[in-house]
Amino acid sequence: MSSTTAQSGLARARRGVAPGGSGTLPGKRKSKLSAQATRTFFWLLLPSVVLLVLIHGYPLVYAAVQATHDGNLLQTGNFIGGENFATVLTSPAFWKAAQFTLWFTIVGVFGSWLVGLGLALLLRTKIPAGNTFKVLLLLPWVVPIVVSSTAWNWLVATPDSLIPSMFRNLGLGTPLFLADPTLASITVMVFKVWVSFPFMMMMTSAALASVDETVYEAASMDGASRWQQFTQITLPLIARSTYISWILMTIFCVNDFPTIYLLTGGGPVSATTSLVVLAYRTVFQDFATGPGVAIAFLMTMTLVVISVILYRQIRKSSVE
Amino acid sequence: MSAVLHAHPESGPALGIEEGKPRRVLSEAGMRGRWWRFVLILAITAVVLVPILVTVILAFTPGPNSTATGLTFENLSNVFSKTLAATWLKNSLITTLATVLVSVAVAAPAGYVLSRGRSKAVSGYSLLLFVMQSLPIITSVVPLFILFAGMGLVDNLMGLTIIYVGSTMTVATWMMAAYFDSIPISLEEASWIDGCSVFGSFTKVVLRNSLPGVLSTAIFAFLLAWNDYLVAIVFLRSNEIFTLPMGVQSFFQQNATDWTSVMALAVVMMLPPVIVFATLNKYFSVGGIGGSLAGR
Repeated sequence: MSSTTAQSGLARARRGVAPGGSGTLPGKRKSKLSAQATRTFFWLLLPSVVLLVLIHGYPLVYAAVQATHDGNLLQTGNFIGGENFATVLTSPAFWKAAQFTLWFTIVGVFGSWLVGLGLALLLRTKIPAGNTFKVLLLLPWVVPIVVSSTAWNWLVATPDSLIPSMFRNLGLGTPLFLADPTLASITVMVFKVWVSFPFMMMMTSAALASVDETVYEAASMDGASRWQQFTQITLPLIARSTYISWILMTIFCVNDFPTIYLLTGGGPVSATTSLVVLAYRTVFQDFATGPGVAIAFLMTMTLVVISVILYRQIRKSSVE
Repeated sequence: MSAVLHAHPESGPALGIEEGKPRRVLSEAGMRGRWWRFVLILAITAVVLVPILVTVILAFTPGPNSTATGLTFENLSNVFSKTLAATWLKNSLITTLATVLVSVAVAAPAGYVLSRGRSKAVSGYSLLLFVMQSLPIITSVVPLFILFAGMGLVDNLMGLTIIYVGSTMTVATWMMAAYFDSIPISLEEASWIDGCSVFGSFTKVVLRNSLPGVLSTAIFAFLLAWNDYLVAIVFLRSNEIFTLPMGVQSFFQQNATDWTSVMALAVVMMLPPVIVFATLNKYFSVGGIGGSLAGR
């Protein structure tokens, strides 16, 4: 978005005159104002900090305690060091869930990106009623997962559901979309792409809207083909937005619970159990609090490291 | 689709000859491409919307024990008279509205500090918020469950709301900060010179000009609270405290799922987000943090 670069430029320029900064205000007023600003800022930020500590900080610390104790949902139990982590890291179920999470994330991110990019490119051209389609195509993202998973269940769950019946009538056999392990994994991933592509479409559309059309005129005068224009001009120009959308979708996919749990419950035979589903089941169905929290904690640590690195990179790319 | 391809060469030359100008021929090719793409996008949209259409159709189809024919509102009235749907709807509305109000009230001032402050502490806090929003909720859910159990906040709408506010506020703060970045600071400077305090200029000058930012943030918080399932399934135990997602799911615990009733309730559940989206479309920001990350 050209307004984006203008905006961040403005933001930077503005910071020079922000209260407490090297502003244009006359000296005496400035120092008085900057002291006042610091105090006001403190009070404005306080509720947010309190909530962050209560809802995020405290649970993280307590999760670390639980992960190293043999307690349950009622009491903390005894300190057992890294035993829970050892249990988790040596269990095949954990690695199977990690593997599924990885595939689910890869397909979720790039599948929804490809579909979203294709539709964004299509909708960018002049199409009758283009805006109506744009709005309609966002519905999978807007409709609650509880509702859409119910509809998907109705469509594919049993051999007599609509879509398996259609396959049967076409003489293609009766696929068991949610009962066959491989097919269930694929179905969950397709469902995730269905839910997520509108997000990618919106991000890409916003980025494409800022690309200056005259660039393409110049390129086609120089004899660049459509494909060359796409790979050499369009993709590099929307790279930053693409990068951000990948990052966010990765986080959405890794942390996803309802998309998987509501469609398959993690089954059949744990074929679609992701790490979050595994952590949930371990704590609330097997009542093994320590190992369950250890799984969540391992995910958390990985995501902290990844998100700090990615945040730095986003910040760097916005300064350049 | 091949029918579309063949239709055009027939109608094409006639128009081309009529006008007889190259410019016209070019736009004819453009027109053909336009209709091609129209058919393509129409087909894609139709396929994509099948699950949503199925939900709506089943909701108004007579149930297995019904004598009604054609489309009927019977399922809807049954759901409200025979289940706790009205209570669930009320619970969802209360929780969601409270989440929206408190989230905005917490995120707007914090976002202002993030936008205008330039100290190390402020940018550190911004990073902290980004990291926190990327963590799985399941990690904090277990400790919070134990904490809330001791305070009587399990199976309680207030407890649910507190967690929703906590999990929306990170992104909501980013969104507000991104919006405040777009408001020129010269407005505040003018008010300071007029003797306005920093807090006064925030509420009277900045907030007053931030309706679109506030609406985007409110929509984000609304969708998160309205759609949540994970927190609800952990914290809600009794039928009369359920929110709508739990209510819809409770139909599946019966032996034979009554699909028409489920879909009737599902339609009730998807209506508010769709209405919000349809009316406030232009404030609908991309999954919350997407827009703010791209914008800051």
